[in-house]
Formats: sequence, C-alpha cells, structure tokens
Amino acid sequence: MTGAAIRALPWGWFLRRLALMAVTLWVIITLTFFMMHAVPGGPFVSERMMAPEIAAALDAKWGLSDPLWQQYLNYLRGILRFDLGPSFKYPGVSVNEMIADGLAVTARTGLLAVLCVVAVGVPLGIAAALNRGRWPDTGVMMLATIGVAVPSYVIATVMLYVFALRLGWVPTFGLDDWRGYILPVIALAGFWVSFVARLTRSSLLETLDQDYMTTARAKGLRRRQILIRHGLRNSLIPVVTVLGPVVANLLTGSFVIEQIFALPGIGRHFVLSITNRDYTAIMGITIFYAAFLILMILIVDILYLWLDPRIRAGAKA
Amino acid sequence: MSVPPVPQCGFAPLPRTDTAERIATPTVPYWTDVWRRLRANRPALAGLVFIVVLIFTAIFGPMLSPFSYYEQNLRLSNIPPILRPYTVTGEDGSQERFFLNSGNFALYGITEDGRMTDILRGKADMLNRRTTYDIAGRDVVVDYKSLPVSVSIDDSIALPGGRVWNRTYLFGTDQLGRDVLVRQMYGARISLLVAFVATLVNFFIGVAWGGVAGYAGGAVDTAMMRIVEVIATIPLTLYVILIMVFLDSGLTSIVIAIGTVFWVDMARIVRGQILTLKQSDYVAAARTMGAGPVRIITRHLLPNTIGPILVTLTMLIPSAIFIESFMSFIGLGVTPPLASWGTLTSNAVETMRSYPHQLFFPAAALSLTMFAFNFLGDGLRDALDPRLRK
Repeated sequence: MTGAAIRALPWGWFLRRLALMAVTLWVIITLTFFMMHAVPGGPFVSERMMAPEIAAALDAKWGLSDPLWQQYLNYLRGILRFDLGPSFKYPGVSVNEMIADGLAVTARTGLLAVLCVVAVGVPLGIAAALNRGRWPDTGVMMLATIGVAVPSYVIATVMLYVFALRLGWVPTFGLDDWRGYILPVIALAGFWVSFVARLTRSSLLETLDQDYMTTARAKGLRRRQILIRHGLRNSLIPVVTVLGPVVANLLTGSFVIEQIFALPGIGRHFVLSITNRDYTAIMGITIFYAAFLILMILIVDILYLWLDPRIRAGAKA
Repeated sequence: MSVPPVPQCGFAPLPRTDTAERIATPTVPYWTDVWRRLRANRPALAGLVFIVVLIFTAIFGPMLSPFSYYEQNLRLSNIPPILRPYTVTGEDGSQERFFLNSGNFALYGITEDGRMTDILRGKADMLNRRTTYDIAGRDVVVDYKSLPVSVSIDDSIALPGGRVWNRTYLFGTDQLGRDVLVRQMYGARISLLVAFVATLVNFFIGVAWGGVAGYAGGAVDTAMMRIVEVIATIPLTLYVILIMVFLDSGLTSIVIAIGTVFWVDMARIVRGQILTLKQSDYVAAARTMGAGPVRIITRHLLPNTIGPILVTLTMLIPSAIFIESFMSFIGLGVTPPLASWGTLTSNAVETMRSYPHQLFFPAAALSLTMFAFNFLGDGLRDALDPRLRK
C-alpha cells in the first residue's frame, strides 16, 4: 500500500471502534467479575466441613481475604498479562491451560464449520437465485427453512441416532478419524449454512434486478463475467456482515455440540465449569470468548471496509 | 392532405355524475388487507393455527390429562407409544392380550384397542433369568437369558401380532414412569411462558429504549446505543448463562435472564425506524401544534413502526424459546421435576439407543414450534409490507 492509500484509510473511525471494543471488553470483565463474586458462598464452600484454619489459609493463598476492589484490580492486572488465574476445582490447573487444552478441538471443528458455511451456503444460494422458481430453488429453500428452524442440538441428536447408532456410518463420539468430524461440523454449521444460503439468494436476486446488470448484458459481456464481476461482488457484501455473528454462534453452539458428541473442546470445559461452579474458570472462559468475538467483529469490519468503497466513504465522514 | 373537419354533432359532453372519479372497489382498511394477504399464505396460516392450538393445549391439556407431570412409578417406566401385543387364548376360549416392555422385561395387560389394564404379576426366577406368568390359565414365560427376550406360551415360542397405539400413554412414559404427553404439555407451557416474557420485554423495554434513543438523537442516542452495542457484541446466550450462574438455575432465573438482555435487537430496529420517521411532515405538524415528545412517540411514531416491530417479534420469540430449551438441555434451565422441551430432549439422549420415542416427541414439538413461528414471521413480513416480498 502506498503512503497516500494508508493515509486515506479512515483512521479516526478505526480508533473509535478500537476504543469502543476496549470499553465493551472492560464492561464484560467487570460484570462477570462482580457477578461471580456476588454468588453466595465462596469457591471452597462445600458439604465437607473444613477446619477454619484451612479455610483461612486457602482464602489467603488465593487472595480471597483481600478487599473486593483489591481482588478486582489484581484480576485486571492478570488479564493484561493474559493470565486468567487458577481453576478452583482442578488444583494445579490454570484457566489458561484449560483454554489451551480445549482450543485445538474447538478451533478445528469451528474452522471446518466456517468453511462449510462459506463453501456450501454461498454456492447453494447462488444456485437457488440463478434457478429462481425451478427445482434447485425450491429444494435449497426447503433445506434452508429446515436448517433455520430446527435447533442445532435436535439436528445433532437426531443425526447421532440415525447415522451413528442405527446405520453405524460414523463413530458416536471422538475425533480419532475424519469421519468423527462429519456430524459435529454439520450440526454446528447447519443453521448458518441455511441462513447464508437464504441471504445469498435474496441478495443476488436483488442485484440481478439492478440497472448495471442490464447495462453489462447490453455491453455484450459474457454471462459468467457479469455474474462474477458485477453480480457476486455486490451481493456478497451482506454475507460478509454475518460472518461475525457466525463465529459468535459457532462458539455458543459448541457448548451443546461438544457435549452431545463428547468432544473435549472449550465449550465442554465451559459447561463443565458451570456445573462444577468453578467460578474462575467461568469468568476466564467468558472473558476469553468476549475478547475473541470482539476481535472477530473488528476483522469483519475491516474486511467490510475493504470490500465496499461506499462504506469507506461513510466511515470517513 | 387535410384532415376533414370533425362533425360537431358526433360529440357531446356527458352529463356530470358523481361516479366519474369513484374508485371501483371499496377502500380496505390496512389490517383487513394485511389479514387477507396473510390468509393467502398457506405456510404462515398453518403456523398461526399451530401456535393457537399449541397455546390451547398448553393451557387446557394438563387439566384434561389423568396424569401429573411429577408422579413417578418405576414399574411403568419406559413404556413405548406403539405396542406389539401378544394374544393368549384360554381353555375356555377367552382371549387375553398383553405386551412385553423390553426395558424391564415386564408384561402388561392391554385391551384390544390398546388401553393398558394392569401390570401383570409373575413368579420371578432370577437364577434362570425367567419370569413365569399365569395368563388365562396358561403358562407364559419371559426368558431374558439371551437377548432379544423371548416370550413362550405353554413352551412354544410366541410372536407378537401387529401393532397398536398405546391409548393410555399416547406418547409412552419416561425412565421414571411419567407420562411423556403431559410432561410435553408442561414443556409447552414453559416455552410459551418464555415467549410471553420475551414479548413483554421487547414491547416495554426494547420499543421504549429504541423509541427514546431514536427520537432524542444526539448524545442521548449515542449513550443509549453504546449500551445496546456493548450488550449486543456478545451472544445473548452467553449473558443468559452468566445470569443463570449468578441466580442459580430454575424457571424464575431463566425468565429474569431472558428478560434482562432480550430487548436489544428490538431497540436497534425501532431506533432505526424512528430515525427515518421523525423527519416526516406529520411529526413536524404535530410538533407545531404543541405535542410533547411522549405524545409524538406513542401516538405518531410507534403506530407507524408496528409492522417492523411485529416482524422482529415473531423472529425473536423462537430464539427466546430456543435459548430456554438450549439452557435446559445443557442442564442450566428448569429444575426437575418440571420439564421443558430442552430437558426432555437431553434426558432422552441418554437412553436414545433403547427408547428413541422419548427423543422423537420433544424434538418434534420444539422443531414444529420453531417452524410455525418462522413461517408466521416470514408471512407477516410479506403481508405487512408487500414491497419487501421476493
């Protein structure tokens, strides 16, 4: 990029976004911190009676006897160093380790699901739009309606029953071979493949009606060229917008999908830490999710800016 | 070439009548028109009918059912909805019917049309893994030494004849012997309660928030929308989970959790609408005549945004229902013995291999409800604003 091009970027807009995101993250950290600390009973309160000395020692070790604001500041300081503190239920395990442990699994299934959304949803939408009213359109729209309406965990359990238990085509759990990925990825991506297919279809249909498409045809451009250069480029802009929510949805979707397919990902760790009342883990993973999502949204915003000159103009103003 | 003069006599003015400018059809009020368009949309109408039926079933169904959602009877556990009856003919020609529950190897007497009469008592021989029953004077032996379980009548292997729908437990029973149908109806109550709360919150907080932000504009708008933006950055499910951890799981908590954050989408939509509408001449006119902001928002602006509000609502309701069932599925929702469609599904997953019917019914109920709201939402959008139709 040349110097002029860099200067032409909407830096003010970018900085404002960054500031807003930092504030968002801080609000979420503060909210989770005080909410988790307001839950009655400390992390070491259990049915088993504990000698008061031991309880006091434990509290002192984790700084739980400090005043709340002190604990809060310490926690914030930890986050700035990317340290989310120890888990209270698994001694010797830090929340960082828990996240790192689950990240590989979640990232792999999640990435495959995002790929699925783009590589399956967009072509389906294009096929439907180009064959408007004929059978590919009807078929895609029917499939998309099912995908949008039927909840992911219902799709997951029904597929598990049919394909793993009844037909035995895929393993019921684990990711030991590639077939293990099929069902979790379909269950994760199902909703968004359908959503993106519908969005692509309606957006492309709208673009096809535009005057510049007629002009392009009148100029004698080839059909393929018209479709790719003029049609798709303009109609995919709304699709890019939903990629941020897609990532968000895949994360929360992974809570239940990882549970159904017994995958040791972050979602499963999160749900487990909730049932275990492992407050530091709940806090840590929530903040990790929030930071990750905010980063994703920022990336999508930048992508958007790069794709659509109209928005670039709008952001500068 | 010249045009011949037009003869004067051929043209005469028509007599003046009132009908000249009358529009041929009577004017149709907006809502009648909307209803007409909605009625023509088959899936949307089906969705609407389904929702109405669901509401009535949820309210009156449990009252009509002879069973309660919490009463357990382990001797009646895992009874399927479709029975495969065996028939025994006694010495005197009398016929007795029974079926085998493959879950607990017990026999239950049934009538011809599938009504369950009693739990049959037999002599258990644990050592040889067999139970002997005396039915209509004959020896019926259930042998569970090897699977599948075999039933023999007077030493000859008997096979079930035909299938009959269980008339006593239409949807079968669960692991604890509770009627699945009545639990499903209670599940529908919970889903509809959540839908109702989401509607209220959207109407009272979401619409008000968006309306005030949009109409006030400036710093107020910026501040209010920043709050919405902070909430909307993170998926609502995550907030609901956090609030549930904070409040402990249970029906009240889930209602509060959904109520706390579920209005942000509505606030955004309403704000956007108000921003464009407040430039209209009629708003300027109202202001000139001395109407205050509250009056302008409630009397002039919001009635004109009712279309988008309704459409957003029909899209948000299924997502609220989904979040509740999702939370219940991962064990953070309603607590037993209350049943939601989410808990019913998650309980059924554990026993899916043997009793798929327990999975089928709640999953189907949830999916159908989602379909109904989606179809109705799509239909409403088309009916309220035909220009948007694609």
